[in-house]
Amino acid sequence: MSLTKVSLTNVVKKQYVYKLKAYSQVFMSLIFLQLLAVFFSLNGVGGMAGGDESIDVEVKYFSSDYVTAFTMLWGFITAILITTKAYRNDDFVFVTNRVSSNLSNAVFLLTASFIGGITAMLSSYLLKVIIYYFISDVPIKSTTILEAPLELLLGIFSTFLYIFLFCALGYLVGTLVQISKAFTVLLPAAFFGGLILDGLRGKSGAIAYVFEFFFTESSLPLFIVKIIVSAGLLFSGAFVLSNRLEVRA
Amino acid sequence: MSVIECNGLTKVYGGTKALNNLSFKIEENKITGLIGRNGAGKTTLLKIIAGLIKETAGELKVFSEKPFNSLQVSANVIFLHDQMNLPTALNLKELLETAASFYPNWDRELADRLLDYFSLNPLQHYNGLSKGMKSTFNMILGLSARVPLTLFDEPTSGMDAAVRKDFYRALLKDYIAYPRTIIISSHHLNEIEDLLEDILLVKEGKELHHMPVADLKEWAIGLQGNTAVIGEWTKNKEVIYTKSIGIDQSYVVVRNHFTETEGQRARNAGIDITPVTASDLCVYLTSKTKGGIDDVFNKG
Repeated sequence: MSLTKVSLTNVVKKQYVYKLKAYSQVFMSLIFLQLLAVFFSLNGVGGMAGGDESIDVEVKYFSSDYVTAFTMLWGFITAILITTKAYRNDDFVFVTNRVSSNLSNAVFLLTASFIGGITAMLSSYLLKVIIYYFISDVPIKSTTILEAPLELLLGIFSTFLYIFLFCALGYLVGTLVQISKAFTVLLPAAFFGGLILDGLRGKSGAIAYVFEFFFTESSLPLFIVKIIVSAGLLFSGAFVLSNRLEVRA
Repeated sequence: MSVIECNGLTKVYGGTKALNNLSFKIEENKITGLIGRNGAGKTTLLKIIAGLIKETAGELKVFSEKPFNSLQVSANVIFLHDQMNLPTALNLKELLETAASFYPNWDRELADRLLDYFSLNPLQHYNGLSKGMKSTFNMILGLSARVPLTLFDEPTSGMDAAVRKDFYRALLKDYIAYPRTIIISSHHLNEIEDLLEDILLVKEGKELHHMPVADLKEWAIGLQGNTAVIGEWTKNKEVIYTKSIGIDQSYVVVRNHFTETEGQRARNAGIDITPVTASDLCVYLTSKTKGGIDDVFNKG
């Protein structure tokens, strides 16, 4: 029987198509988490109230921030999930090597982040509809899609990039855990330990700085560069670390 | 052309050597039986060939390439075992479709017909199958993929006798139509010996014998008779196995170096000479002691 010649791009493509189908559960959890976040948002994400004897003023802010935050968390968890044995070993039933497996995972996460970004941004419209019909008759001041299509697109794009950054982080964390179970203790300890230490010192430390670095960037091109470079670094780290991982039951 | 070339292959798992300096070659288009006791290193060897795990020392080449992280080897090898991790979200039909997209020689018709014949519901999920049905599905994957090197690790585990027979027949028919290199590890050597061309016998991670099945059948003979007479006859022979039967009778398996006349003289001395089946011989050869389980109970 003659040997089959295969190319890396071809295999990655096939793996990607297969993963979209095989990993469909992650989209179910996306819908569930976003609905949960919408539910939490119904009470408003912030507000104030005041008044005197004859007048009561209540101001509530509604936004889909929770949904976006939940979606980022979802991206992080999904990325960890697909590095676990149950998912990683699936690839090795068919044609694969570690590089193609990682690449197709990265492309899958890119797609997942994109879908997550779109649905997270659109959830604000769902929120408005629910609030209008079930909570308050007061029309909510908001821009429609047609009024500011660019803003919506920009929102989707930046949400997508944030989710992808979290995916990249989750992928590296998941890979580290696959290499040694000690990381399941070490990583949370380092993260929360860092937060507590910062709190005790009363100064902002590394973790706060990282958040500031990514979440307060006002220049769009710079923001894109920051995310792409960081996600690239996180993924390359995971690729290099997992290239020697064996398949064990 | 050698499909697999293995030189001094060693794999260490936490201090114990699963494979210990193993060397062999497997030629193209042969069905080889990988035979050995539990823990002899059969699965470890197959996993290294499939590129799932990396050798500790030595060299293994599949189609002249190192299998670990090789896309070419992965595309030309399929490894079926009973701990396969198939994507849980897909049903059997979708799994076959996925496999079809990865293997260019995939025979869709054969896969569908086999699935139908073994009454597997295409809409069922792999995890919902019983052990024997999982093995049956693995076999369908392995046969339909038609890859140049097919590795079956305990393919019949859990299968009932009827399905086992069907499997051997299906394997042989497909092999004749599309010759390819196949390695089967199995405990049921008596069932598969007619299927096999070569046998690779491993014991404690080392290659014990690698020879055609036909040679193995002639390799040793069994002598039975009076213990004293047998002892006389087997004095300078390579004894593989001994068993005492009754009070002064024993059965001894020795290397077959007997000439025609020697055999005749032995028969005249009252010794029964019987051939040893390949299956029994493999059990004797891979056993740690010459007396087998009897030694455990014979305290004296």
